[in-house]
This record gives sequence, structure tokens and C-alpha cells, in this order.
Amino acid sequence: MEKLLNELSSQSGFAYDIKCDVEADFSIPENLKRKSDLGLPGIAENDLLRHFTNLSRKNYALSTVFYPLGSCTMKYNPLINERIAKYDAFNSIHPCQPAETMQGILEIMHGLEKDLCEISGMDNFSLQPAAGAHGEFTGLLIIAAHFRSIKQKRTKIIVPDSAHGTNPASAAFAGFEIVPLKSEPDGSIDVSKLKEVLTNEVAAIMLTVPNTLGVFESKMREIAKAVHENGSLLYYDGANLNALMGFARPGDLGFDVMHINLHKTFSTPHGGGGPGSGPVGVKSFLERFLPVPRVEKKNKKYVLNYKKTKSIGAVKSFFGNFPVILRAYAYIKALGGNGLKNASAQAVLNANYMLAKFKDKINVPAGTRCMHEFVLSPKAALGGGVRTLDVAKRLLDYGYYAPTVYFPLIVEEAVMIEPTETESKETLDKFIETLNKIILEESVNEPQKVKDAPSNTPVTRLNEVEAARNPILKWKNR
Amino acid sequence: MNIPEDLKFTKTHEWVKIEGNKATVGITDFAQHEITDVVHVELPEISKGVIKAQPAAVIESVKSAFDIYSPVTGKISAVNEEVLGSPELINQDPYGKGFLFTVEFTETENNELTALLSAEDYKKLI
Amino acid sequence: MDYTPKNKHDKQKMFDVLGIKSEEDLFDSIPVESRAKPLNVSGGHTEQELLEHFKNIAAKNKTLVSFRGAGIYDHYIPSLVGEITSRSEFWTAYTPYQAEASQGTLQAIFEYQSMICALTGMDVSNASLYDGATAAAEAALLALRVSGRKKILVSSGLNPEYIKTLKTYLQNFDAKIVLLDLSPNGTVEKATVDASSDGDTAAVIVQSPNYFGIVEDMQGLSETAKEKNALFTAVVNPVSLGVFQAPGEYGADIAVGEGQPLGIPLSAGGATFGFMAVRKGLEWKMPGRIVGQTTDKNGKRGFVLTLQSREQHIRREKATSNICTNASLNALAACVYMSGWGNGGFKKLAETNISKASYAFGKIKNIDGFKAKFEHSVFFNEFVIETAKDIKKINKALIKNAFLGPLDLSGSGKQFKNCMLFCVTEQRTKGEIDKLVEILAKV
Repeated sequence: MEKLLNELSSQSGFAYDIKCDVEADFSIPENLKRKSDLGLPGIAENDLLRHFTNLSRKNYALSTVFYPLGSCTMKYNPLINERIAKYDAFNSIHPCQPAETMQGILEIMHGLEKDLCEISGMDNFSLQPAAGAHGEFTGLLIIAAHFRSIKQKRTKIIVPDSAHGTNPASAAFAGFEIVPLKSEPDGSIDVSKLKEVLTNEVAAIMLTVPNTLGVFESKMREIAKAVHENGSLLYYDGANLNALMGFARPGDLGFDVMHINLHKTFSTPHGGGGPGSGPVGVKSFLERFLPVPRVEKKNKKYVLNYKKTKSIGAVKSFFGNFPVILRAYAYIKALGGNGLKNASAQAVLNANYMLAKFKDKINVPAGTRCMHEFVLSPKAALGGGVRTLDVAKRLLDYGYYAPTVYFPLIVEEAVMIEPTETESKETLDKFIETLNKIILEESVNEPQKVKDAPSNTPVTRLNEVEAARNPILKWKNR
Repeated sequence: MNIPEDLKFTKTHEWVKIEGNKATVGITDFAQHEITDVVHVELPEISKGVIKAQPAAVIESVKSAFDIYSPVTGKISAVNEEVLGSPELINQDPYGKGFLFTVEFTETENNELTALLSAEDYKKLI
Repeated sequence: MDYTPKNKHDKQKMFDVLGIKSEEDLFDSIPVESRAKPLNVSGGHTEQELLEHFKNIAAKNKTLVSFRGAGIYDHYIPSLVGEITSRSEFWTAYTPYQAEASQGTLQAIFEYQSMICALTGMDVSNASLYDGATAAAEAALLALRVSGRKKILVSSGLNPEYIKTLKTYLQNFDAKIVLLDLSPNGTVEKATVDASSDGDTAAVIVQSPNYFGIVEDMQGLSETAKEKNALFTAVVNPVSLGVFQAPGEYGADIAVGEGQPLGIPLSAGGATFGFMAVRKGLEWKMPGRIVGQTTDKNGKRGFVLTLQSREQHIRREKATSNICTNASLNALAACVYMSGWGNGGFKKLAETNISKASYAFGKIKNIDGFKAKFEHSVFFNEFVIETAKDIKKINKALIKNAFLGPLDLSGSGKQFKNCMLFCVTEQRTKGEIDKLVEILAKV
């Protein structure tokens, strides 16, 4: 067990020190001074390095194991991007510098916006949102602003029940009421059911394409037509864009607004939960509502334009998560148009290959072909009262991160697998063999072993009920 | 599964105990079993108005959250503060120490009660 | 470079299993009329070419010696921070959904939460938000949710980027933002809060040190807010808390702020993180991830994501926020940063900021044509100077010397006409400050 910092601390050593080379008189009135102990640890650098290095070794990461986490696109994070992101001339630029002293930053932002337009078929992008959900929120504010500008009162957003939880949450935060739409067993939309809920109060429908079961929405054109004829808009959740690059573009499919998760499709690292980046793209009729500032090119110089009177405003400070934007741009420049298409092709090939190896033994609710990911429902194949959660934990014992489980909500005991394009056949084969073994053999022959998993991890199964009932959310005795 | 004969039930798995113009509400043994370990409860404020079949409280487990619907229209007259600190009471004693709140209703709202299920009907439902 | 496997033999085997001739066959479900044309995206570069390409672009940026803050600060980042955040076990991991395989990230966040609570004096911290501006906006939403009230009072001394973001976040809510004017001393007065608040006031949001560098009387403001049962929300610079009163000490209900000063590079103001800490009782209403301590089956200590039923993946439209991906790696950086100072060192860091800013303040206000805007105010590492000279000209002269000069405050209202905001952190040497003074004197 790795000690906590406060247990290591003896206040006898410090890692950092500071000197002050000026003498200045200042006095702070007593009432403004801090009275309480700071409560920070005091530990030597040597010991801190060990502490954090040891902690890092308790993580399963993409750099140590296969990470087939559905919907998260855990593709390889190229090292060259990390190297570029550490350049001092990118890192040490203050956001309030004059634009002429950060032409490099603005050139990259402008370049990425342009490339994202080409890849997605949208007309304009804003790189300001800091994550996918933040992008959704921004996109929905844009939709609200659009209807306000044409003086239509539309208060509802249709969200299929197979959607990510962020969709309804973002819509609610943008002030909309959610109309749930029941999707078909393969996650697709039944156009007649859609039409039943498409009233004149509906501002937009949020769709993930391919959907969260890995199926391309084959009736996409009909759906877009019905929605647009109703005067409503289409929002594209870009979580699954990795399936489509070079094959189909959301803009061509009829979508009006979308976001992209740079930390999924464009290979930027996830960092254990961010920072990410969720650029928002729109068709030209919505451009004026995009967040400010906008990066523009004038007389061969890049400038920041804050004067957009119809803009929804700013959704965070400054321009966006620049280091993430930079990495994504470097990735696109490594691949180019052909490489991007090949990435999607290989991602879909890898997923279909895996699906083919499971489909005869384990229930697949969405058919035997998929796009870049697929969902298994192993309920019937599991023996001995073993559940999907147990299977996930057992995979950890075999040195794999677990797939996404219990999502989408419409599939019982769901196991959602996304291999991505950067894994070899050999890696896939070993994983297929292991998962089949756990579900088809171990759950039947040694169910207790699966239920007791994991045992090869730094801790065994953790008591989440106790954690929530009697929360301990910081060091005790502090 | 414990389904006390003297209580009334809803299709959304609340139990109701009627005493005069007061209805005490909790979730059934079946519901607590389905929800699994309750970790957090949100109760309405006393004297807040509630509407039949509208959410009045929330019960949360580690992986889910469930709205609890008022079986009758009226005003909250009491809440069980003990479950706020000890949510496990809902699992241990759903019909007793794990009750949630009491609704005071008027004469006219009284006829809403006829729609409630008997123990026998509820048994068939689950 | 496209980072995909290159073994043709393997690929053929996969085609055989699937009974296809090429990957194209797997895209049959996309109707032909919906297919994309070849992408017109330049690229296809090798590593070497990329290095060259991006070096050239980077050269179009100018690295400057910064005397500018306004929300993003040039602090020294110790080597240990970069060493730890460069460990691929941290930066290539996902959100710690599988706790048993994510104890590194989870324990680090738990330690981060502990130190944010220590610094702010608050009871519960979340695992981070996007940045300071969104943290302030989320605080307002939290207050609206808890109180059921409709009005948010906001100090005009709140960073304008935060005010803009707050307005955007609340634009479709049935809520009203009321800006509190600053006194001639550049501070929010208790009487202003008192006069503007009523039974519908959900929160009073005050930044200290405020945007103009001045440390506010947070104790008094907090008491006034509480008299109206409004949630007092403190927006604070975490490094300043080494010396100045902590939100927990003056009874704040919510403390938020920009985490960038805690070991995060300037990076054009992006990819920082926001922190949020609350008093006990508000934790189930808080947005964002929270890590808790628990035990495993063998009684061994471990860490998990907890109080999750607040979150979007469970509560969907009823969640306390839509946030999913936050800023975990930057929270880790802050964790490493906060852990290495010790109480004495962190206090000295804060004092050094005050010393250097005071030194610069003393020199600059005495230059001909310059004067202190708020002569007797208490400040941390930023201060306002009024000048009769042309601020644009001043900054041009400074840029020529590779200095990033003060922020022109002419956009901040009448009160700040001919004013500029200087920032001096521990990073600035005596030599640099003296040089700055020299250049200013010559303009």
C-alpha cells in the first residue's frame, strides 16, 4: 500500500525552495492574514519522486496495456505530439500577448479549424470548448440562440435512450426540456417513432453516428429530411467520428451542429480524465453564434475577433485548450487525408474482426457487422451467477483494461468494445481468446474465481457502497 | 418477498399507509432489493406541496438514482430524517424505520387513494 | 505516418475471416450518395518533417518576459512536476472507471482534493473542472440549485473572462446576474452587497485578490452575504492563500478559482484547470468527479470515484453538471506542485510574490508621469498604475525589449481610464524589474 502524502510528511524536507532577491517593505493588516495552518506536506524531492512514480505504477494505461474501452477511442497517443507540445515557444505564451507575438499559436488554431471543416463537412469551427460535453453545451446554446434570433419558441431536444449521458445533461444545462426517444434494439432510430415526437416545440435532435451500438444510421437521410421539414436542427455527437473519417461527413449527412472530441478521434492523450478538447462545428447559417474570440486571417496575419454581436459569448477563458489543439493538429499533419481514411478503415476492420470471433458464441444485439465498435450482451452465455461487472474485473487480472460495461443502457449486461486502429491482430487475438475464456469457460467452471476478481491488481474489489455512505473525501486528521 | 397486507401500493413500488388524512410513504421490499444498497436519500422539505405521481424524493445507489413518486396530492407533514444519515435503514427495514415521508391531504384529494393497489394486486404486479 | 499495423499477411487473414476483399466492404451500410469525397487535408509527414514543420510555426511566437497576469500567471514550475506528468502511466490512462486498475490516478486525485481543502480551508473538493471561469459559472449554478433563488450578485472585480463565461452559462436560465460596483478604493463594499441582496439572492460571488490585484475584506463580505442567506462564493488565487485569509476561515460556502498558478504553464491560457471546494453539506450538490477513500475485500485502503449518482452518466438530465472529461492531468500537476513546498516554503512563495510586486510598485509609481491608482490598497502580485503617457506606446517599447508589459485597462470602464495592470511574480528578477522601470522612465 502506498502511503498518503500526509503520512509521509515529517515537515523535515522540502522539494522546492525559493530566494527573494529584492527587499521591499509591505505589511498585511491582521484581519486579512491567514491564521490557520496551511496543512501542506513537507517532503524531500527524492521521496516525492518515489511516491508519485510508485503511484503511476498502480495505473493500467494505454502505454502498458490494451484498452478496448468502448466509446472512448483509446488509440495510440503519438510521442512526437508530446515533444512538440513541450516547445517553450508554445508553452510560455501568455493569452493576453498581442496577436502579432503569437502568430504561431493562431496559425495552428486557424489550420485545425480548416482541417476539421474538411473532415466533418461543416463550414466553421470554434476550438474553445474544453471537452466533449462542453462542446455539446456550446452547440446547444448556439441552437437556442438561432431559434431566439428567428423568434421561434422551441424548448425541446430529442435524445435517444441509447445516447451518452452527457447529451441529456448538456441539453438541460442549455435550458432545454428533454424528449426521450426509444431506439430500436440495434440502437437505430425508427423514423415513424421519431415523427411522433417531432412537434413544433422541438429545437433539435441529438444523434451519435454510428450509434452507441456501433451501427451506422442507415435511414440518416430520411431522418434529416423529417427533422429539417419540421424546422428543427440536427446535432451530431462526435464521440464516434473515428468510424467515418474519409468515408462520410456529418455535414453531408444533414447535421447542422456538431462537436468533436480531439482526445478521442484525434489521438490526444486522455490524461486520466482530461484535459480534453471539444471543438464545435456549425453550418454557415449558424457561424455568427459561435463563441468569441474567433481566429481570422487578414492581410496574411492572424487576428482575434471579439466583435461578434450575435455570438453566444465565451464558454471558458481565452481560446481553448491550446496544448490539446496543437497535438491534434500535429496528428492530422502526420496522417494527412489518406492516413485519416486509413485510420478509420483499420478501426472498422479491427472491430469487425473481433466481432466475427465473438458472434457465434455470445449474443450480439446489433447484428453481425459493425462500424468501429460493437456491443456484446453475454447474459445468456455466462454461468454461475457471474455478471458483466465480474467479467470486467477478471479481465484486469489478465492484464487488460476492461471494456465499457453497462452502456448503452438499452443492452442488458452490455460489454462495449472499441479496439481502435492502432492495435495489431496479435493483440486482438490474445484479447479475444481471453474474453471468450472468461465468459464461456471460467464463468461456468470457476464462477467464484471470476466473482472474486481481480486479484492481481494493487487492490481487490473496492467497497463503493461504504465510500458513498460514509464519504472520506480528503486526508483524515487534517 | 415481504408485502404487508395492511398497506396500499403503487405501480412505481411505493407503499402507502393511510391514517386519517395522512399518508406515510416508503419503498417496498421488492424495490429496495432491486435498487440494492441505498447510499443517499433526498427528501422534500416539510410543508412543501406534492402532486400525485410526481417525484417527491430521490433514492440513490452507487450506480443509479431513482425518483420516488408521491402516491397522493397534498402537503409534506413529516420526513424521516434518520434515513439521511443512515440510508441503509431503507434496505434493512423498508416498511418501518426506512419510511420516507408523510403527506397530509384534504378531503377532495382523498379519492385519489382508491386508485392504489392492494397487497394482492401488488404481488401480481411484481 | 498513420500508426496502424502494417503486416499485410495479418490483414489478409482478417479479410478472409470476414469474407471481404477490402475494408471498403465494411462500409456498405453508408449509402453511396452519402459517401465522402477524398479529404483535402495536407499531411502524411514523418516525425522528422513534423519536428521541422512545428519548429517553424513555433518560431512565429515570441517568448517574452512577462509583467502581465490578469488570470494567467508566470510562476516557476519545479522539475518534479514535469517528470511526474510526463509518466505515460498517468498521461495515457483514461478516467479511472475501473478503480482497481487506476489506483495511481485515484490516489493522486484524492491527495489533490486533500491539499485543495487544506489551502482553501474548505471541507470537500472535487477532482477539477475545466478552468477558473467555468468553475465560477458552475458555482453560480450550484447556488441556484441549492437555494431555489434566482439572483446572482457578482463583483465587478471578478475577472472579465469569468463574467463573460458566467453570462454565457446562465443565458437560458431563469436567473439574473447583478454586477456590484467597485468603490473608489477598487473594492466591493459591504454596503453595496447589503443594498443589492434580497430574499431572492442565491449567491454573492467575490474575487480576492480581485481582477485589479486588490485583496478584499472577505470576512465582512461573507458575513453580509450570510445575513441574506445567500451562498458566499470566493474566487481565489491559490498561491495567495499562503499568506491571505482562506475561504474556510471567513465562512465561504463555495471556493473556486483558476488552478494554473499551481504548476501549469501559460500555454496561451488553455488547458489549465479549475478547482472547486465547498463546505460540508453541499457535496451531494457539487458538479464533477469526486474521489473517496474506502477499503477492498481484504480491508486494504483504496480509492474510488464516489457520490456518482450526481453525475451525467447516471442522472442524465437531472445531473448536477454535464461535465465528464475534466482536467485530471493538470490536477495531478497541481498535486505534485502543492506537495513539495511544505508550509514554510509555500508561505515564502506567496511572500516573495508580494515582495517583488511591492518592490516594482514602489519604483514604478515614483516614475515621472506614473502614479499608484490605489495607493493604500493591499495587493498580492498585481497592482494598477495610472499614467498620463500613451499605454500603447509603453507596451510597444517593452515588446522591443522582449518584455510583455502591463495590461491596458482602458476597456474596464471609466474608473480605469489611463490605467494599466502590472503583474510581478517570483519569476521576475531584480534585474528584470529594474530594466522595466528604466524602459518605462524613457517612454
